[in-house]
Amino acid sequence: MSALSRFWDSDFAWDFRHSPVAVVSFLVALLLVLSAVFAPLIATMNPFVPANLNLMNGFTAPGVPNQFTNETFLLGTDDQGRDVYSTILYGMRISLFVGFAAVALGMIIGVTLGLIAGYFGGWTDAVIMRIADVQLTFPSILVAMLIFGVAKGITPVEYRDQLAIWVLILSIGLSDWVQFARVVRGATMVEKQKEYVQAARLIGRGALPILTRHILPNVLSPVLVIATISLALAIIAEATLSFLGVGAPSTQPSLGTLIRIGQGFLFSGEWWILFFPSVTLLALALSVNLLGDWLRDALNPKLK
Amino acid sequence: MLRLTACTAALLILSGAAFAEKFSWAGTTDPQTMDPHAVNSAPVLGFLNNVYEGLVRRGKDMAVEPALAASWEAIDGGAGWRFTLREGVKFHDGSDFTAEDVLFSYERGSSEEADVRSWFAPVSEVKVVDDYTIDFLTSAPNPLFPDSIANFMIMDSGWAEANNTTRPDKEAGNYATLNANGTGAFMLANRQPGLTTTLTPFGGWWDTAEHNITEATFTPIENPATSVAALLSGDVDMINPVPIQDADRVDQRDGTKVIRGIEARVIMLGFGHDHDTLKYTSDAGDPNPFLDVRVREAVAKAVNVDAILQTIMRGSAESVSQLVSPAMRGYSTAKADRPAYDVEGAKALLAEAGYADGFSFGLKCPNDRYLNDEAVCQAVTSMLAQIGITAELDAMPVQNYWPELREDNFDMYLLGWSPGTFDHEHPIRFLVSTPNEEKKLGSWNFGGFSNARVDELLPAIQSEIDETKRQAMIDEVTEIYQSEHAYVTMYVQPLVWGTRDNIELTQRPDNFFLLRWVTVN
Repeated sequence: MSALSRFWDSDFAWDFRHSPVAVVSFLVALLLVLSAVFAPLIATMNPFVPANLNLMNGFTAPGVPNQFTNETFLLGTDDQGRDVYSTILYGMRISLFVGFAAVALGMIIGVTLGLIAGYFGGWTDAVIMRIADVQLTFPSILVAMLIFGVAKGITPVEYRDQLAIWVLILSIGLSDWVQFARVVRGATMVEKQKEYVQAARLIGRGALPILTRHILPNVLSPVLVIATISLALAIIAEATLSFLGVGAPSTQPSLGTLIRIGQGFLFSGEWWILFFPSVTLLALALSVNLLGDWLRDALNPKLK
Repeated sequence: MLRLTACTAALLILSGAAFAEKFSWAGTTDPQTMDPHAVNSAPVLGFLNNVYEGLVRRGKDMAVEPALAASWEAIDGGAGWRFTLREGVKFHDGSDFTAEDVLFSYERGSSEEADVRSWFAPVSEVKVVDDYTIDFLTSAPNPLFPDSIANFMIMDSGWAEANNTTRPDKEAGNYATLNANGTGAFMLANRQPGLTTTLTPFGGWWDTAEHNITEATFTPIENPATSVAALLSGDVDMINPVPIQDADRVDQRDGTKVIRGIEARVIMLGFGHDHDTLKYTSDAGDPNPFLDVRVREAVAKAVNVDAILQTIMRGSAESVSQLVSPAMRGYSTAKADRPAYDVEGAKALLAEAGYADGFSFGLKCPNDRYLNDEAVCQAVTSMLAQIGITAELDAMPVQNYWPELREDNFDMYLLGWSPGTFDHEHPIRFLVSTPNEEKKLGSWNFGGFSNARVDELLPAIQSEIDETKRQAMIDEVTEIYQSEHAYVTMYVQPLVWGTRDNIELTQRPDNFFLLRWVTVN
């Protein structure tokens, strides 16, 4: 029996097949992720190479030939003549990259600190968890803006645009490690009382192998759920920061930057510049979020 | 019964509000300072014209008319101008206006610390004759001098000394940065930089008030879409500018209207003429390609001004070939042609100059100063990319922008210029003359363009009384800066103001908004 068919027959897969919401949101998320990954192949142009643009194509409505150049664009163009369809594909790449990287960063920090706090207890636990509590009292978007502001202040102007994406990842990642730490700490405290951990201790294994080989695999399923939901939140946090003008620069726009640009044309009739990036962001965040919800139910039989 | 009383009370409150003619307006840029001599920029001077006054002022048609000077006459032999001051004028704090205040303001405005000092370049000496007579002596006959000082605003000498602000301070600021004591129709009641500025009418103003405002509040709103929303919802009575893309909608809506005009402001690209090397991008440190006139000409040919006008400016601006618009005095009709859009020609020029493979450089741009400034810079970036040169765009708010330009931090930059005197001589003096601190020339010539013949012609233009000879010299200067491609002039910016229907006001072509002509109906 191959691993694949074993997986197909598992409870988990059965549950997935019988949840229409999960299937649909998985397909939507997969489609969006794939189109972002393969953006250079399916986009009509790279809209962020200035040489590709023709200003006379500016403000072309979706599906209507431009009055000067007679070119047609599926989702229209913005003020600079960039094809909105292509900007969305390229923008989604930045949004997803920042989202995944920020969650990975938050997860690494959170899981490590959570394991340490839960396993060692005492003052180590107290210090880590108080830091977490303090951070929880700030809205995470505020923490992200603070980190972003400081990082922007200390980077030289010439490198600001190149570094903006990494600073964005850092600021979102550092603001959402707390969720991971709290969940992992709780689970670790339960696991460390169990016989298999005590047995490992009795045979003289050190703290590090016990944490990584024994406890970690058993606390990962809640982490997976949080990671999925965090991904949706990180994508939205990134869009919020970029919308406020402190995130991705307009040379490397994310969906949030595109929405900020489109907002300037909302009142003047060029609705498509705002509408399509917004709908894409909605679809992306919603599908990932629904998937996370389903995953939480599937991995926690008590909720059924 | 109770309901009826409540209704009456509400009606009374409403009608009360209608009688108190409070007026509020919004603009993109907050005036940087309340000091009339610290910053020579239209948002500051336009705003302060409500609070301070000059010896002369401009009327609704831009014609110069008496203000603090009741009359003026040329001193025999072209030695200068004698101003007879208006008697009985009071400053906002009640002190009297005399010739001493004019002398003090001249010393303050022409001092090393003042940004407006170049206005006084032609002045050799100022002499107080008596309390209400003052002479401005010029080094050469200067027929346009009274026209050139409409924005030279008079500050009370006693007030300035008492508050230790006898010199302007542009960077750190001092008492006059946040407070004002002028003779104008409005007094500064409350100043919160970046948030709100409130003006109240000055009861002791020497002139008869045409307006009916009891309180005026200015709020800077950086985001154009937000300011349109504020106008439509009635939060503000007037906005300047209305984003071009929203103008039609604001005009068609009940309750609001749009007032359009052509501004005197020319939008152009400038180069670092005195930079030996490029300052930005991976090519930083390489010899500056813009030192070669063929490269500058290539840029002029690569910029498709018509495309910018048709899309970004939505057909409401006009292209321009020189530093002033055709409506200005001294416009050179002989030099009216702009280099034609010609990508192949531009590429050929680059190849000839040895840059067939292109290069990259830094383009600086404001993002809250001119209409759609950042979008225009982006468009320029993609047009230059068509001829193989890569511009790295850095757009920033205007309060960071001027310091960057003053520190020479650019390879190419965007600039808008509106001649305060409505004469071609003004941009020649500010933008084309070789920068010279001592002579107060070329103070906005950031790139340091320098041409000996222009420097020689400028004093002659300033003192020439014969129109034909003067125009011939201006034509020659125009020929020089056009053939040298000192600047790439692009278009004249349109004026688009939005108001509520119950507001009557006057739009002056210099984009100054004067409260003394506002009526709230």
